[in-house]
Amino acid sequence: MNSRRDFLTGLATGAVALTMGARQSGAQQRGMIHDSSLVVKDSANLFAMDQMAAQSVQLPPKPGAMESMTVQERDAVERHLHCQCGCTLDVFTCRTTDFSCQVSPAMHRDVVALVQGGYGAQEILDAFTKTYGERVLMSPTKSGFNLLAWITPGLALVVAAGALSLMLRRWGARRPAMPAPVQNAAPGSRVGATADELSRLTAAIKGDEDA
Amino acid sequence: MSLIGELSLWVALLMAAWSMTVSFAGATLKRNDLVNSGVRGLYATFAMVGMASIGLWYVLLTKDFSLEYVASHISSTMPSVYIFTSFWSGQAGSMLFWALILSMYATIAIATSRKRNPELTPWATGTLAAILVFFILTMLFKANPFARLNFIPADGKGMNPQLQNPGMAIHPPCLYLGYVATAIPFAFAIAALFTRKLDAEWLAVVRRWALVSWFFLTIGIILGMWWAYVELGWSGYWAWDPVENSSFLPWLTTTAFLHSIMIQEKRGMLRKWNVVLVVMSFLLAIFGTFITRSGVIESVHSFAQSPVGPWFGTFFFLSVGISVYLVGTRLTDLQAKAELESMVSREAAFLYNNLVLCGIAFAVLWGTVFPILSEWAKGTKVTVGPPFFNTVNVPLGLLLLLLTGVGPLIAWRKASVSNLKRQFAAPAATGVVVGVALFAAGMHSIYPLMTYALCGFVTGTICQEFYKGIRARQSIHNESIITGFYHLVVRNRRRYGGYIVHAGIVMLFAAFAGLAFKSQFDVTLKTGEAFETKDPYGHTWRLVSQGISTSELRDRSVVAVGLEAFRDGKRVGIIESEKRTYYDSQHNQLFQPITGVGIHSTAALDTYLVLAGVRDKDTAELTLTFNPLVVWVWIGGFVMMIGGLIIMWPQAERRRAQAGYSAVMPPARTATVPAGV
Repeated sequence: MNSRRDFLTGLATGAVALTMGARQSGAQQRGMIHDSSLVVKDSANLFAMDQMAAQSVQLPPKPGAMESMTVQERDAVERHLHCQCGCTLDVFTCRTTDFSCQVSPAMHRDVVALVQGGYGAQEILDAFTKTYGERVLMSPTKSGFNLLAWITPGLALVVAAGALSLMLRRWGARRPAMPAPVQNAAPGSRVGATADELSRLTAAIKGDEDA
Repeated sequence: MSLIGELSLWVALLMAAWSMTVSFAGATLKRNDLVNSGVRGLYATFAMVGMASIGLWYVLLTKDFSLEYVASHISSTMPSVYIFTSFWSGQAGSMLFWALILSMYATIAIATSRKRNPELTPWATGTLAAILVFFILTMLFKANPFARLNFIPADGKGMNPQLQNPGMAIHPPCLYLGYVATAIPFAFAIAALFTRKLDAEWLAVVRRWALVSWFFLTIGIILGMWWAYVELGWSGYWAWDPVENSSFLPWLTTTAFLHSIMIQEKRGMLRKWNVVLVVMSFLLAIFGTFITRSGVIESVHSFAQSPVGPWFGTFFFLSVGISVYLVGTRLTDLQAKAELESMVSREAAFLYNNLVLCGIAFAVLWGTVFPILSEWAKGTKVTVGPPFFNTVNVPLGLLLLLLTGVGPLIAWRKASVSNLKRQFAAPAATGVVVGVALFAAGMHSIYPLMTYALCGFVTGTICQEFYKGIRARQSIHNESIITGFYHLVVRNRRRYGGYIVHAGIVMLFAAFAGLAFKSQFDVTLKTGEAFETKDPYGHTWRLVSQGISTSELRDRSVVAVGLEAFRDGKRVGIIESEKRTYYDSQHNQLFQPITGVGIHSTAALDTYLVLAGVRDKDTAELTLTFNPLVVWVWIGGFVMMIGGLIIMWPQAERRRAQAGYSAVMPPARTATVPAGV
């Protein structure tokens, strides 16, 4: 045991030396930095907001264009568009709740212009997708590779359920025949249980855990 | 003190490395002296990490701005309570907090179980020490809380005011307590796999710690939801953000485990599956941290990103590899001791419950990582947001709610038709009555209608179980209803605590369904102007602007608006919302402006007001939201917490001996025993 203690003492001494060395070396490296903003880490904002992320999504108005949808329908379209400021909200939610964001109002203005230009919901979503890419949609499209996103959870569940069912059947085939279950309630039972159930209930109440 | 703190971390690293090495060596060579030394090494690690933590708290509370962590996370104007909680508000501090909790948990777990589990102890000790080595190593080389600046700033940057909230002070520690607790079952599972002692021995300790994990994750998740709701101003509490998802994933698998472990206790079945669930819960906790810290997935929590991501990634894949190898090579040792006798039984219901819980976990995980897969496969990033998660998870959630009612009532082994009729007639009738009544009242949306009908059904099952239990106690012990209720719960904590948790789940689902009736309005009001509208229940609301006020405080300027609210002509009070802009001592703006949400809350409805902007000095641009039943999320969470506490409360030694593993049940004549007995 003494030798192990000696070993540990040695290790601890080494650690002190290592710490002091690391501190000196760190101080030298950090000594090269003079701008406090570069050194002090940013815990300022909950996420890195990119106020310049908005891009223009404009299409010429359709001939004789009239507003293509109601305000509620327009808001619904905005709920399918992902604000690009860095938050995880849709355009409608972001622009109505975060007045520091300049991206969602800009995207909203583009949506309004497209609605006034006579474009329908899908055409608006397509126009935004063309400009920003698919990341502007709040959920993946239901086509191509993205279809995987939608079908995989269901498929996995079906496969798991199939495997479970197979396992249960295999177990069922191996088990011995069961005697018929008791059907009759105990005479005079106030809780509607069989005599057997009542005896177990009594046992449970006397202190068995989770009978 | 910072020197002592950092030095303590280095010594802790050595102690943990020592503990890991000698524990594994002692287990392999069967040398008790090494095993004991490993355990002592673990205790010493806790002491050293504790010392380092005291060091960090000291430098925070004394505002030692020469340290990078202190200067980055506190300022001289911050309230002391948030200076204290800033310990875990940043990357390096939260890593130390992880290590502190893990070493504390490890010490408690090993100290309390080493006599009962002498063969598992060295392997579990070694595994826990290995995890500690990873954390301390990562901290020392990638996120050192004691790193120094080469100058001393006059003031620190401070904590984001949105994080200066009581909920946010408690939410991260609760999540950490939950995340870290998954390490204890994992360590004992690894120990059981190494020693091939996969019987009942490890179940008791694993179950206890899984409950601890579940309990704290539940509180942490609910508090996070509450914080998001009252602080962020987007009128919701869950956005399916990747970091939210990563806290939800281990919760789901731990919940699945807490159900399936009952089957192993009662029937000796699902041994492989339980090991897998325990391992998965820990891996998902690490995966969650990897997501939070690495920035591989876009998240609103990206403030926590740092270079530790790759370290966590490596550790995650290493843990996956070891776990898969151990489980794969021990499959034959994990054979069930009994087999399922019927697909209509409690065992089967718990299996379905596990299937659905893991199905939800998979769907959430899949949706969370799909943007990365898409980027790999196509080179384009896609967004997977609430529309995806809601579409996929709502049907699964309803199935889970149904099973919440079915599982506890159906008989073990095989349910007879009479058992089904007797147990389910009243609850099913309750569900149907609720559904029909709501339909008649005009609720025609399919999902909310199904949710409330199922809530009625599950509530019926819970009430029936309590009713039968209390009646039985009255008939046997001649007790009053209240005494009978008390004794019923106290003497059968697991079962009736579980029912209380289920009651909380019902409340949560009822609240979630309420979101379907949420309504939102953009309102622009000058001073004295009024806005009138109807809420989802048909009540008329009139909101009159009381004007905009501005105030300058020491560290912030505030723009506030107050609306006098009337419901059906009756005054309900003033609802205020404000925008706060924070400044440092030189009056430089800090942070983005922050919303102060105005909420008028009742059991039926939250009236949620956000000041979105101010125009022409007296015109307020507002967003008004009617959020039905939100308060039941918090009440449901509280009820779940109470249920969890009841289940976790230590039993008397006498009854603890009676509980636990009993793979052999009485012969099949007991097949119709009602589930609640």
